[in-house]
Amino acid sequence: MSLNPAYPPVRRTPENAPMLDAWQQRGEILLQRCDSCGAHLFYPRAVCPSCWAETTGWVPACGTGRIVSFSVVHKGLPDVFMAEAPILLAEIELAEGVLMIARVLCADPGRVTSGMAVAALPLAEARAFPLPTFRLEGAG
Amino acid sequence: MRSETVGLIGYGSSVYEKTATRSEQGYMALAARAALDSAGLSPRDIDGISVSSTTLPPDNAVTLAEHFGLSPRWTSMGNAGGAGSVINVMDAVQAVESGRASCVLCLAGAAQDTEFFKDRINRFNRSVADYLAPHGFGGMNGLFGIIMRKHMETYGTRRESLGRISVDQRANAGQNDNALLRKPMTLEEYLNAPLIADPIRLFDCVLPCAGAEALIVAPLDRAQPGKGVRVVAAAERHNHPVGEVSPLRGGWETFREGFYDEAGFGPEDVQFIQAYDDYPIMVAVQIEDLGFCPKGEIGGFLDAHSLRWDGDLPLNTGGGQLSCGQTGGGGGMIGITEAVRQLRGEGGGRQVPGARRGLVSGYGMVGYGHGLSASAMMLEAVA
Ligand SMILES: [Zn+2]
Repeated sequence: MSLNPAYPPVRRTPENAPMLDAWQQRGEILLQRCDSCGAHLFYPRAVCPSCWAETTGWVPACGTGRIVSFSVVHKGLPDVFMAEAPILLAEIELAEGVLMIARVLCADPGRVTSGMAVAALPLAEARAFPLPTFRLEGAG
Repeated sequence: MRSETVGLIGYGSSVYEKTATRSEQGYMALAARAALDSAGLSPRDIDGISVSSTTLPPDNAVTLAEHFGLSPRWTSMGNAGGAGSVINVMDAVQAVESGRASCVLCLAGAAQDTEFFKDRINRFNRSVADYLAPHGFGGMNGLFGIIMRKHMETYGTRRESLGRISVDQRANAGQNDNALLRKPMTLEEYLNAPLIADPIRLFDCVLPCAGAEALIVAPLDRAQPGKGVRVVAAAERHNHPVGEVSPLRGGWETFREGFYDEAGFGPEDVQFIQAYDDYPIMVAVQIEDLGFCPKGEIGGFLDAHSLRWDGDLPLNTGGGQLSCGQTGGGGGMIGITEAVRQLRGEGGGRQVPGARRGLVSGYGMVGYGHGLSASAMMLEAVA
């Protein structure tokens, strides 16, 4: 599977390129980590929003987390996503404590509840998506 | 900030239309003419322009001056989305107090059409365009669906309570000929409306439309007798709480105490609230953060009050964006124009009895997960 060209593209920047490449090439969620205060960051930024240090390194996240809250989007989507609706969009807390909004692939959103464990897609499936995308833990 | 000498002396709304029949500037001109008429002024009196619009760029306050044939000596343009018009009025009051202008026309609106929606991806800020849109986030509905579910699961807030906001505002719109949606709505209709972004259903959402709002800020001694409105408190706050993605609170909680101290009275002393109603859940968060009830207790609070124009806590007395339609950035001004209308006793069939003081709050500029900007303004009729 390769990146679906119909998905809206992510503008590539010096700040986000390592994260985008790690996801596309390795199915890995790469997080910025501040060299000064140790905070993990998402989305990628030019400075650490906690301490304003300009130097950050990269660490791979373990790829698991839990759904904090979610919405099941049925309508008002661009055509490419309407074909895949409903879209499960969730606030996810990664094991590292980072909060992010991401899509969770799920054949039956009706059985999803807040608190459920999620894991990053395996590489073969990850490649279709421009940003880190998840599935329910234990699925597939 | 507050001002004893400078305030709001005119207001106006354009017609609202589902399909744009003129440009954004055209709707703004309609609203501006109505505002000047209500102030008893002419375009020649305007020497300041302030605008909030997410759809106007690359045009701006200066190119509006060219379009309208005005030569202002002060201009400003907001960057806080639906929180912007409250801030524009604050800035305009200070511009007049400092002598940089003597009569400011504040504008907000949009002429949204199909082409606009096709192109909307190019109008998002970068955190939304790069880290949300590629997921198929469903516009703002998906983000506010996450927040609404979290509020329901954290505090036990029920859709039956939140729905009262949509239902009572629709009743208010029944007295507003300018509202696009005036057909009475029952709570059952709200609860059973088509799913958009579960738990958000159709009547949690605004109808994007074309139209504009306008205000005139000038020395209060230029107001027509009994028609001046004073700003007795105003505040803004951005990116609070820092670092949260889907928070159940916003910037209002940071300035609430000082805001009421500045006004000299509290939430129990207002006759109405005009809150930013992009979604009922965000109205609920504003009511909590502005101290009408403790955090998490909005459900019982809504159950215990009537939000209709003739109720015990009138909310969005013209129907708000949920019933009038959302004119882009004009959604941040519709509450101010309605507040001025009420405080001048010009509410017509929806006039709140004895309206002397009212609270307006703004919210907007969605970033990574939620609106970044919060604002509020306390208005009082000049005796
Ligand atoms: Zn740091």
